[in-house]
Amino acid sequence: MSGQPTALEKILAFVDERVGLKHLQAKMLNEPVPGGSRWAYVFGSVLLFIFIMQAVTGILLMFYYVPSADHAYASTQYIIHEVDYGWFLLSYHFWGSSAMVVMVFAHMSQVFLWGAYKKPREMIWLVGLALFGIVMGFGFTGYLLPWDQRAYWATTVGVEIMDKTPIVGDFMARFLKGGPTPGQMTLSRFFVIHVMILPATLMGLAGLHIFLFRKAGPAGPFRGSVEELKAKTDYFFPRQIWKDMVAMGAVFFTICSLAFIEPVVLLEEATPDPGEYHPEPEWYFLFLFQLLRLKIFYGEFGQFLGAIAIPGAFMALLAALPFIDRSPERNIFKRPVALVGWILVMAGILMFTVSAIINREFLD
Amino acid sequence: MTEQPVNMPPVKLGLAVAWSALWTGIPFKIVVVLLLLAAGLHPWEPVGLAFLLLLSVPIDIWAVGLSARTVFLERLRVQPPEGLGMALWWKGMALNVLYFPLAYFIESQTKALSKAVTGHIMETELIKVWPVAERISIELTLWSSVATMMLITLVLGWLFLFGKIVARHAAGAQPSNASYQALVRQWDLMRVPSDQPLLLTAFAASGVLLVFLFWGFMPVTTPHPHEQYKKEEVKTPPTIKPTEVLQKSEKLLAQAEGAVQALEEQKAKEEAEQSKSKGKGKASAKDAAQVKVEPGKPAKPGPAKP
Repeated sequence: MSGQPTALEKILAFVDERVGLKHLQAKMLNEPVPGGSRWAYVFGSVLLFIFIMQAVTGILLMFYYVPSADHAYASTQYIIHEVDYGWFLLSYHFWGSSAMVVMVFAHMSQVFLWGAYKKPREMIWLVGLALFGIVMGFGFTGYLLPWDQRAYWATTVGVEIMDKTPIVGDFMARFLKGGPTPGQMTLSRFFVIHVMILPATLMGLAGLHIFLFRKAGPAGPFRGSVEELKAKTDYFFPRQIWKDMVAMGAVFFTICSLAFIEPVVLLEEATPDPGEYHPEPEWYFLFLFQLLRLKIFYGEFGQFLGAIAIPGAFMALLAALPFIDRSPERNIFKRPVALVGWILVMAGILMFTVSAIINREFLD
Repeated sequence: MTEQPVNMPPVKLGLAVAWSALWTGIPFKIVVVLLLLAAGLHPWEPVGLAFLLLLSVPIDIWAVGLSARTVFLERLRVQPPEGLGMALWWKGMALNVLYFPLAYFIESQTKALSKAVTGHIMETELIKVWPVAERISIELTLWSSVATMMLITLVLGWLFLFGKIVARHAAGAQPSNASYQALVRQWDLMRVPSDQPLLLTAFAASGVLLVFLFWGFMPVTTPHPHEQYKKEEVKTPPTIKPTEVLQKSEKLLAQAEGAVQALEEQKAKEEAEQSKSKGKGKASAKDAAQVKVEPGKPAKPGPAKP
C-alpha cells in the first residue's frame, strides 16, 4: 500500500477545494438527533423520496403523453397497452400520488401529536401546510390528464366547487376551465400547472421547509429525562439515514405491489355527457364529497358552507395553531383537547370516506 | 422512562415488543409480496399465502427477538436471555392459534348483532324519511362504533396475554447494574454484525438478485387490457437467413450453368451434324420430299437418323 492518493481521491480533493464538499457533507450528515433516531421521524424523508419518484415516472410518461383533447386519451391508452412497462410506470405514478397524500397526513399527524409545531418551529409548520396544499393540487390537476370520463367529471365537479369561493371563485373557475365546458384549454392549463408550476413551487417550498427545520433543529421526543435523551442523542448518519432508507424501501415496494394489484384501467373517453357514469373525485377528496351530500349543505349557501367555508376555516385553524396553542407542553397525553380533536377529525374523515363508498350503491 | 418488569403493565409490555416486531418484519414481507405479485401469484390465494406464511416464520422469529432484546435492555434493564426470539415466537404462535379463532368469532358476532340492531333502528318511521346520505353515515357510525370498541378490547386482550408471556421471561432474566449509557451501547452493539463487509456483500447481492427476478417476472404489457382497445396486428415480413439465401442462389446458379452447358453441347452436336450432312445433301433432299403433310394434321417427324 503506497501513501499516494488514488484517482478518485484526487478528483474528490479537486471538487472539495472548489465546492467545500467535506464541509457540506458534515453539515448534512452530522446533525444531532435529540433522543436518538426514531421510526416516527421517517415521514419527511419518505415524502421527499416519493416526490423524486413521481418526478422520474412523470418525466418518463411525458415522453409518450400528448396533452391535447384529441390525443390525451389515445396516448394514455398507448402508454398502457403498447409502451414496454408503460402500464407499470403509469400505475406507479398513480399510486405514488395516493402514497404522497397518505404520507402528508402521517407527517402532519406526527408533527401535531409530538407538539413539534410549537415555538420556535411555527414557520416550519406554516410552510408544511402550504406543501400540503401543493400535494392536493398535484392530485387534482393530475386527475384530468388521462382524459377519460372519470377524469373529465371529477374535474367538472372540482371546478364547480371552486366556483363557490367568494370574490376569487368565479375568476379561478373560468381561468382553469378556459371556456364554458372543460376542453382543450382546460387540459393545457391543468397540464402546465401539473408539470411546471406545482413542481417548481414544491421544490422551492420543500427547500425552505428543510432549511427552516435545520435552522430550528429536530424537536426530539416529547418525554424522557435529560439524562436519557443525552445518552441516546445521535447523529443523523448512520442510524436515522438507515431508518429512512428502510422506510423508503417499504413505501417503494408497497407502491409497486399496489400497481400490480390494481393497475390503472381507463374508462371511456371523456365526453360532455356523463351517461351512466356518476362523477366522483379521487378517494382522498371523497369525505368532502360525501359531506356535501348532507341535507344541511343543500343549496347555494349550503354548498359554499360545506365546500369552502368549513374546509377553509379548518385550514385557517391549523395555520393559527402554533399561535393559539402557546403552552410549552408537548406530551400528547397531557394535551387532551389536541388528542381528542385529532381522533375526531381522523374518525370523521374515515367515516365519511366509507359512507361515500357505500353511497355508490344508492346512485343507480 | 425505565420500568421494572413487575411494575410495567402487561398490555404496555406486550405492545412494546409486538408493535416494534410488526414494523420490523413488514419491509421484508413486502419484498416477498411484490415478488409473488410480479410472478402472477396473489398472496391472498392458497399457494401465495402458504409461500408468504412460510417465509414469514424466520422473519418473525428474528423481528420478535430483536424487538424483545431492545425492550429488555432499554426499558426493563435486564439482560436478555439466549434464544429469546424463538421462545417468544412459538409461545406467541400458540397464543394466536387459541386466541384468533375465538376473537374472530366474537368480532363477527358483534358486528352482525350491531348491524342487525342498527338496521332495526334505521327502519323506524322517524329516521326512514331522512335523506340517504344522512342515513348511511348514521348507520355506519352506530354499528362500526360498537364493532371497533369490541375490536380494541380484543386487541388489548391479546396484548395483555402476550405481555404476560414477555413478563415471565423478563422475571427470570438477570438484572443489569450497568449505567443507562452502557446499556444503550450494549443494545447498539447487538445490532452491528460481527462481519460487516460480509453482511454488506450479502445485502447487495440479494438486492441485485431481487431486481433481476422482479424485471424477469414483470409482464411487459398490461395484464389488464382495456376491452375496447384493439392492438394493431403487426405483420412481420419473413426473416431473411443470409446463409440459406446464399445456398439457394448458389444452387440456382449451378442449375443455370448446367442448363447453359447442356444447350452449348447440343448446339455443338447440331453444328457437327450439319457439317457431316453437307456431304450427303442430295440424298437428304430426296428423303424430305417423300414426307407428305396432310392439311389440319401436324407433320410427323421423319425417321431418326443415326
